[in-house]
Amino acid sequence: MASRVLILLLLIVALARPSLAQGKRWIEGMWSDPPVSMIGSLCAGHCSDVALNALNELLDDPRNDSRPVQQLLQTAAARHDAYVRAHLVPELLKTYPPDPADDPSFLNCEPYAGARQMFSRHQLQVTPIGRDRLELRYGEWDQRRTVYMDGRAKPTGYTPSRLGFSVGRWDGNALVIATSGLAPGWGPDNILYSDQMQIVERYTRGEDGKTLWLTATLTDPKALREPIVLKKLWRWAPESEIAPVVDCEKPTSVHRRDGTTR
Amino acid sequence: MTRNYLLALAVAVLAVRSVSAHHAFSPVYDDKRTVTIDGVVTEFRFVNPHSMMTIEVRDESGAVTRWVVEFAGRLNLSEVGWTANSIRAGEKVSVTGNPTWEKMPRLFFKRLVRPDGSELLPGAAQRDSALEAERRQRAQERDRRK
Repeated sequence: MASRVLILLLLIVALARPSLAQGKRWIEGMWSDPPVSMIGSLCAGHCSDVALNALNELLDDPRNDSRPVQQLLQTAAARHDAYVRAHLVPELLKTYPPDPADDPSFLNCEPYAGARQMFSRHQLQVTPIGRDRLELRYGEWDQRRTVYMDGRAKPTGYTPSRLGFSVGRWDGNALVIATSGLAPGWGPDNILYSDQMQIVERYTRGEDGKTLWLTATLTDPKALREPIVLKKLWRWAPESEIAPVVDCEKPTSVHRRDGTTR
Repeated sequence: MTRNYLLALAVAVLAVRSVSAHHAFSPVYDDKRTVTIDGVVTEFRFVNPHSMMTIEVRDESGAVTRWVVEFAGRLNLSEVGWTANSIRAGEKVSVTGNPTWEKMPRLFFKRLVRPDGSELLPGAAQRDSALEAERRQRAQERDRRK
């Protein structure tokens, strides 16, 4: 009898608990490279308010009407680069940017580090797992992140990992994810970050309902003088599919920035 | 000759697999130089993350080298109208692209021209014209507001 009551109570609690997806289903499904537009070009990888403001200023000035649009985008990207450099700690700035030939993803076939993966191009597929988790799957490297939506704390003694430990919540219609426990790695803009990196991602839907914006605040006292804020744009892309990575092999010959080959 | 051909083929196949899966341009391709090759398409793979084509190029002595041409991914190319049939096996084509630093028989695609003069350009080129149109429209709106 007691066990039946217990089962009934558990059933009532489970049904009464609001579903993870209730009212928030807009984010579920497949997103991919942004629409072909100037902002889409600037933010397909990642961008910043500095870059967006720079682009708008350039477009608002008629003297730039005769300049190729790629030149304007490059100018905006250069402002973004200056923004990133201004935030790097001096030790990191000395060797910034690192040689792409040393990129562990290229050199050793290592999937992207978490802070880089969340800004990677191509697909982002969001899928609810049960009532208390979201899975974020990325087209680049086909990596999958788990985001706990039940407010749980990071386990004591958590060993830093490539994708870290992520806890999410809904703030109105915005999905907010806090990630820590990241192992050191190559981040966005080739920032070499430490295990003290913490990231707060905020995902919002564009006004047309067909775009997804990420605004992420990255904090890492070992790599950054102060937090840096990066943005990224996706397009709703239900037709898109993620292809598994099955055949990565390490390069046999690499051309380094200093002109040497190894 | 056969040994060299097989070696080139092996290198090309390895190179395809090593680069296509994890995107790296500058350690592999020299963006300051371009090379043009003429040959017959043997395969076009319209896939992500990067599409691939193989093309057999015959030199003056009659020796055939199999070149690999790497493109942007299916996703990017399809946005500007490319399909799996944009390039067909058996076609005679002239392809221009960035060569590898190590002078392997491999290019990163810039332009394809057919015998009838028609051409295919990478997604980037078609995207640029769309961006220019968007910019012109924005400039017109800006001027109207004044």
